[in-house]
Amino acid sequence: MITQVDNPILEIHDLIVSYDQSPVLWNVDLSLPSGKLIGILGPNGAGKSTLIKAIMGLVKPSSGYVKIFDKTLEQVRSRISYVPQRESVDWNFPASVLDVVMMGTYGKLGLFKRPGKKEKDIALSCLDQVGMMSFVNRQISELSGGQQQRVFIARALAQEADLYLMDEPFAGVDMSTETAIFHLLQEMTAQGKTVIVVHHDIHSAMNYFDWMIMLNLHLVASGPNEKVMSEELLRKTYGGKLNLLTKVTDIIKQKDFNPLKN
Amino acid sequence: MEDFLYFFTFQDSSIAFVVIGITLLGLGSAYVGTYSFLDKKALLGDAISHAVLPGICLGFMLAGEKNPIYIVSGAFFSGALATFLTSWIRNNTKLSEDAIIASILSIFFGFGVVLLTVIQKSGNPEMAGLNQFIFGNAIAILEEDLYIYGGLAILIIITLTVFQKEFSLLVFNPDFGIAVGYPMGLIRLIFNVLMILAVVIGIQAIGVVLMAALLITPGAAARFWTDRLHKLLIISGIFSVISGIAGTYISFILPQMPTGPWVVVCLSFLALFSFLFAPNKGVLSRTISRNKYLRKTHQDHLLKALHHAIEEGKKYLTIEEIYEAFPYQKQKNNKSIDDLIKNRLVTKNQNIIILTNEGKSESKRIVRLHRLWELYLNEYMNIAPDHVHDTAEKLEHILTPEMEALLEKRLNFPKLDPHQENIPRDYDDL
Repeated sequence: MITQVDNPILEIHDLIVSYDQSPVLWNVDLSLPSGKLIGILGPNGAGKSTLIKAIMGLVKPSSGYVKIFDKTLEQVRSRISYVPQRESVDWNFPASVLDVVMMGTYGKLGLFKRPGKKEKDIALSCLDQVGMMSFVNRQISELSGGQQQRVFIARALAQEADLYLMDEPFAGVDMSTETAIFHLLQEMTAQGKTVIVVHHDIHSAMNYFDWMIMLNLHLVASGPNEKVMSEELLRKTYGGKLNLLTKVTDIIKQKDFNPLKN
Repeated sequence: MEDFLYFFTFQDSSIAFVVIGITLLGLGSAYVGTYSFLDKKALLGDAISHAVLPGICLGFMLAGEKNPIYIVSGAFFSGALATFLTSWIRNNTKLSEDAIIASILSIFFGFGVVLLTVIQKSGNPEMAGLNQFIFGNAIAILEEDLYIYGGLAILIIITLTVFQKEFSLLVFNPDFGIAVGYPMGLIRLIFNVLMILAVVIGIQAIGVVLMAALLITPGAAARFWTDRLHKLLIISGIFSVISGIAGTYISFILPQMPTGPWVVVCLSFLALFSFLFAPNKGVLSRTISRNKYLRKTHQDHLLKALHHAIEEGKKYLTIEEIYEAFPYQKQKNNKSIDDLIKNRLVTKNQNIIILTNEGKSESKRIVRLHRLWELYLNEYMNIAPDHVHDTAEKLEHILTPEMEALLEKRLNFPKLDPHQENIPRDYDDL
């Protein structure tokens, strides 16, 4: 069940990604419409984060390519915003909430230049949007998990992009924060922005996403919410990994080279 | 005293040079080192500082004398080689980083010592000062050395200042840096170069063995004092300069004393001081706040005991009854009663302890929090009523008014706790 679209905002063509030789994404081929709230679903180790990282150019694919706004990543970087996993950084780093959100303005600011009043104003208005105004000068290690996620989302907002890629922004977030963030993301898509979110909770996914990508090492489904939410597809996504796929991965691992690499 | 005045009034211009040199060196290395400490790359600094020794010796062999340019270049290249090898081996083998760094460190240093022995056997009359590169001798810094070491230190400080936001990104979240289009690979390379340079400028004054301490200790010590990056850099710089100058002074007044070890001794003292006495994060401050918390808990428990007494129809407790309720802690009980009297929560009349109106209100608050939490555990987490008391006993002291409001709302302003005891509100009579 893979729905392709015309004039996609993001096109992924036969993407294969491997870590230390073993493939973690097999032939992912999909295209996504713009202005939608899109969820990437799948079990642990399904390659959800890897897909996001491959789109952002943080991991090199073994083969295949990604096109965004029909261009290469380098040409449109300033129009894309990225939220990494919360656990990927050391929150003991000596910085305030404002310092972190200001990082969102670095892309447009460029090298050498220091952020000034304009950047600070952008950062403050983004903090306001995620309801973190009262934490502006707080040391980031003192924040709760949900607050840290909101800081990361504010930083992404400060990038003022058209396409947002978020890796597990709801991990470690309580119910009311989750609802608030989802409403914010829906507002963004209403303004024509596209938001792609790695997510693990099927229940809230059904309520909020317009479009869903289901992954389990390979692409199980990509399409409008109502079309892909079937028991059969969910079973394919969450019902364990394909037997032959794990077997061939083991064989590849024992080789000295990666046969899938171009 | 005479020595002290002679040293610190800079009558001797060579001493002024040394102090300027050690100040720049301290600032530069503390600055780089703080970033690498935050980046959790402290061991790499140690490896680099040991790895520059063969370069120093080769530089000396090529020049045939202690020519600073040859020695600095040699040191830089062998430091760079060590850094490159470390990351190459990490990317191309399955060895763990600590194993790689430990091997690189000992292999390079061992090779350096071999070269040093060869030079000493060669009988070159210039070799006399070469041993100083192991433990450092700041007093031997000459004017011409200062231009090179000081110049490099200034270069380090300027580069780090210009690239401050890039290096913060490198340490905090390099993936995000790549995502916004920054050349993070190049920035990492520049940072590594700065780190090697920071080691190189210290070889004359501090020596290769201890240079790592000057990189890492100032940042680690300063981390106890602040949670802000710019303050961290300033404090680590101050620590570094103080120890640098103190170490130099000691090696100046005491004959045959190398500088490096004394700088490290001073730094360690500052680090120990920070560890013990820094506000909020120091051991002392943490112990004090823990004791304060424990005292407060005991007072809370006394108030609760008085509250229970009233619930059972008594108006007060006698001191003896309190001693009985909290046995074997007579002194602690007396102290708590005194504190409660001081805060006007209880009054004491001979041996009778009575709650004041404020005391009643406070005791109701604590009992309320205790019972609300018990009910929450029971209702929301399905914990049996006879298992909820112990956690509630600990958490009643730290639940905030916001948490209390939330609990009341979630539980819909309940009347009774899981043990069918009344949950007292402020408007209830006691």
